[in-house]
Amino acid sequence: MQQRFLNPSVLAGISGLELVAKTVVDGFIAGLHRSPDFGFSQEFAEYRAYNPGDDLRHVDWNVYARTERMYLKRYRGETNSSLTILLDASNSMQFGSHGVNKMDYARFLAASLFYLAIHGQRDAAGLITFDDEIRNYVRPSTRQGQLHRLMAALDQAEARARTDFAKPMRYFQEFLKRRGIVLIVSDFWESPESIIRSIEPLRYRGNEVVLFHVLDPEDVRPKLNGPSMLVDLETKAELEVTPDYTKKEYREKVEAHLADLRNRTRAAGMGYYLLMTDRPLDEALREYLTLREGRN
Amino acid sequence: MGVLAPWFLAALAGLALPLYLHLLKRQTTTPKPVSSLMLFESRTQASTRHRRLRYFLLLSLRLLWLVLLILAFANPFINRNAAAAASNRLVLLVVDNSFSMRAGTRLADAKDAAITVLAGKGAARAQVAAFGSQLRFMTQVITDQSALRAAVQAIQAGDGHGNFGELARAVRALADSVHTPIELHLFSDMQRPQLAATFSDMALPANVTMVTHAVVTKAQPNWTVESVDAPGQVWGKDAKPVHVQAVIAGYGTPAAQRTVSLVVNGKTTATKTVAVPANGRATVDFPSLEVPYGFSRCEVKIDAADALPADDLRRFAVARSDPQKALLVHNYGDNRSPLYVGAALSAAAQSAFTLESINVNEAADRRPSNYAFIVLSDLNTLPSLLENALTEYVRSGGSLLIAAGTSAGGRSQIPIFGAHIIETRDYTRVPDHYMAVGSSDSSYPAVAKAGGWPGVKFFYALDIDPGVGPSAARVIVRLADQTPLLLEKRIGEGRVVLLTSGLDNLTNDFPLNPAFVPFIEQTARYLAGSERQGGARLVDAFLDLRNSNEQAREHAGAQSQAVEVTDPEGKRPLTLSEAASAQTFQLVEAGYYQLRLANGRQDEVGVNPDPKESNLDVIPDDVLALWRGKGNESTQNASAPGAATPQNTSQNKTPQSFWWYVMLLVLAAAVAESALASRYLGTQREEE
Repeated sequence: MQQRFLNPSVLAGISGLELVAKTVVDGFIAGLHRSPDFGFSQEFAEYRAYNPGDDLRHVDWNVYARTERMYLKRYRGETNSSLTILLDASNSMQFGSHGVNKMDYARFLAASLFYLAIHGQRDAAGLITFDDEIRNYVRPSTRQGQLHRLMAALDQAEARARTDFAKPMRYFQEFLKRRGIVLIVSDFWESPESIIRSIEPLRYRGNEVVLFHVLDPEDVRPKLNGPSMLVDLETKAELEVTPDYTKKEYREKVEAHLADLRNRTRAAGMGYYLLMTDRPLDEALREYLTLREGRN
Repeated sequence: MGVLAPWFLAALAGLALPLYLHLLKRQTTTPKPVSSLMLFESRTQASTRHRRLRYFLLLSLRLLWLVLLILAFANPFINRNAAAAASNRLVLLVVDNSFSMRAGTRLADAKDAAITVLAGKGAARAQVAAFGSQLRFMTQVITDQSALRAAVQAIQAGDGHGNFGELARAVRALADSVHTPIELHLFSDMQRPQLAATFSDMALPANVTMVTHAVVTKAQPNWTVESVDAPGQVWGKDAKPVHVQAVIAGYGTPAAQRTVSLVVNGKTTATKTVAVPANGRATVDFPSLEVPYGFSRCEVKIDAADALPADDLRRFAVARSDPQKALLVHNYGDNRSPLYVGAALSAAAQSAFTLESINVNEAADRRPSNYAFIVLSDLNTLPSLLENALTEYVRSGGSLLIAAGTSAGGRSQIPIFGAHIIETRDYTRVPDHYMAVGSSDSSYPAVAKAGGWPGVKFFYALDIDPGVGPSAARVIVRLADQTPLLLEKRIGEGRVVLLTSGLDNLTNDFPLNPAFVPFIEQTARYLAGSERQGGARLVDAFLDLRNSNEQAREHAGAQSQAVEVTDPEGKRPLTLSEAASAQTFQLVEAGYYQLRLANGRQDEVGVNPDPKESNLDVIPDDVLALWRGKGNESTQNASAPGAATPQNTSQNKTPQSFWWYVMLLVLAAAVAESALASRYLGTQREEE
């Protein structure tokens, strides 16, 4: 199968997130031979006999006409009909060692997922941008113009302040009363333990929670020309570090950090995807959706 | 220790640059942003220590490199005493073999003194040189005593004229190349005439210590034949009597009677006695010199019996040959041109040419090649047969003098010469009724000896277009109104000289002017190609082996003719390649040189030493002390042979520059800096 993948740097040259999203989604769908049934949609699972008190809207009237019995249609994903993306807009997301920084990459990712959900599946989609507080909230909806509202909110999302999952997370509970899919897009520069502790409550409410871990290549393999003074983009703290350290110890610590986060996430029943910003977005998206379909 | 150019030390201020780059600029590195420092740990302690160590080593090397470079430019020196420097000192033994060293036992004494000095030097590095008119090294710098002694013994008496200025120049050049102190021992008669014109010419470098070894201490009386005035050539068997005039000089001599003899080919032909005043000169005149055809070796000798018998004779060579024929073609009835030209030739050129004058009607049956040159004087018509014959004569190497006169005014161009006639200039109509010479080429033989033709009045001339390009005529003399008066043009291998006026005393008064005779004489010699033969020269003079015609032919690509030189000893000093290409030859020995020149002519010259060498006066001690330099005159003038070793040299401090060692250190520092810096950069690349 021949595929084409879109370089994030190419996407950065496209003005308008909607167009970016369309390019990405159309791109990877066009790479498939048959029409896909990926998505967050409700899929038919079985018929159930009508019981008094059931919602009459779910009665299959065609079956009733043929058999004079009332059956209700059951759907596989009937509880995942809402997509909410929690987008980290802290200062650390500004970091980028090549054409696209993490914030841009996260925007493209969110825009593509919104496009797929709304245009492809007619699902409700919403957005929460946060750093150490909740900066913006777009309620999940399937109303006309929802995609534009989401795109506008993504456009306005500016990286600032520092990440603090614990503080805004309690508000997430208030916004996410309806069960659905919750995607958290962040670089997760906190201890895996505190991240999981902050996010876990979302899972308890029956949401399908997935962590998109967006990292720049230099977050994993920093390049230093000799001993250098490093500045934390969020705290502005400075630290003198040697190349020897970044070549060995730091890489080991990053690997350990990623492994720890992945394990803890999966142990908590949540999904985890690591996305490097030098990786084509449609390829990453395709991988995620393929894995999700397999899981369902 | 010190520096010879201290102002270069001001460049030490430049050390601030690496200090700034290493110590100040290093602290202004731009911090690198990262997403989070969560997983980073400080490693400042180890890294800073390594970096500082590395930087300090690099900084030290760079500072060292700069300091050494500046020091090298400042030319550092150390004061080394003579004893310490003796180990690498070059002992240069110079033995004077100029002509004056032939007096008595001077040369032998000088060589003995040199061998004695050599024996006292042990295994020192030494070099032997002979000094006549120039310094001639007999050995390389060696320590082999036997070879050095043999070189001293091999020095033969020369005939050159010494000049201590030339010696100093050669020693200065040597000092520039050897870089070590030089102990110069000069073994000479310290003849006063060998002093250079100015004392600065004899200045020696700082690292040269001179020890003079005078083989004589006071002047010796000497008589000599200072000069002989005799013609080099005699023409024909009926030539006029030839006078020989000799000057007898005495240097430091009392008044005395000297017997002077004229010797021709070894046979005394005349003897006279002359009274030479004290320390003065006397002239002897021999009224008649009879020499046979061919070359004769002649001498004027005196019976001096003095210290230098070698200068008691003066040689000269005389050649007797038949005069050459010249042809003058004139108009019928023109008697003036033959008269004036013939009189000038017979008056000036010692009957070297016999002029045959014919009118144009008789010229048809003459063969031009029988004549050394041909003069065409103001011809109304030139028969085409004659014109063709003359053109061919010129092309094959003949020479022609054309006096245009008034007859050419009716033509459009000058025959044979080929120049276009623009107009005629009749100056009798101008206010002064004549035109004088405006400009002339003083290097041209016919003009040089005539002094530029001052006061000659020209009443008539042709305005000629000399042309352009390679075939253009060379304008030698112009009138005041820029009209060309005398032109020369090369046609084939010959040449044509054109006078745009006449030779008849009508169109000008040139024939009556004193400049006319030298003009005709020099033009005749020039056109006939006969340079002066025979005569006498001085040792070290240069002799032209090829005249201007042959040089021009060689430049044009023609194959050069070989010359042949035979020296007084009968040897041929020129190699085959030199014989084919040499333009000049230096006469290095006294005696008779025989030559066969490129044009095939034979020549012979008598070569005599420079008469200045006959003056055996010595340089005063104070002048010698001044030349040797300050402070050591009392001991360094070893007047007696063998007492040459300087006694107080151990107290002498001589600055010895060691800038080239510093430059070696600069190179080493640069290499080390490059290696360290590239290792450092290599580490950085690896880190990337």
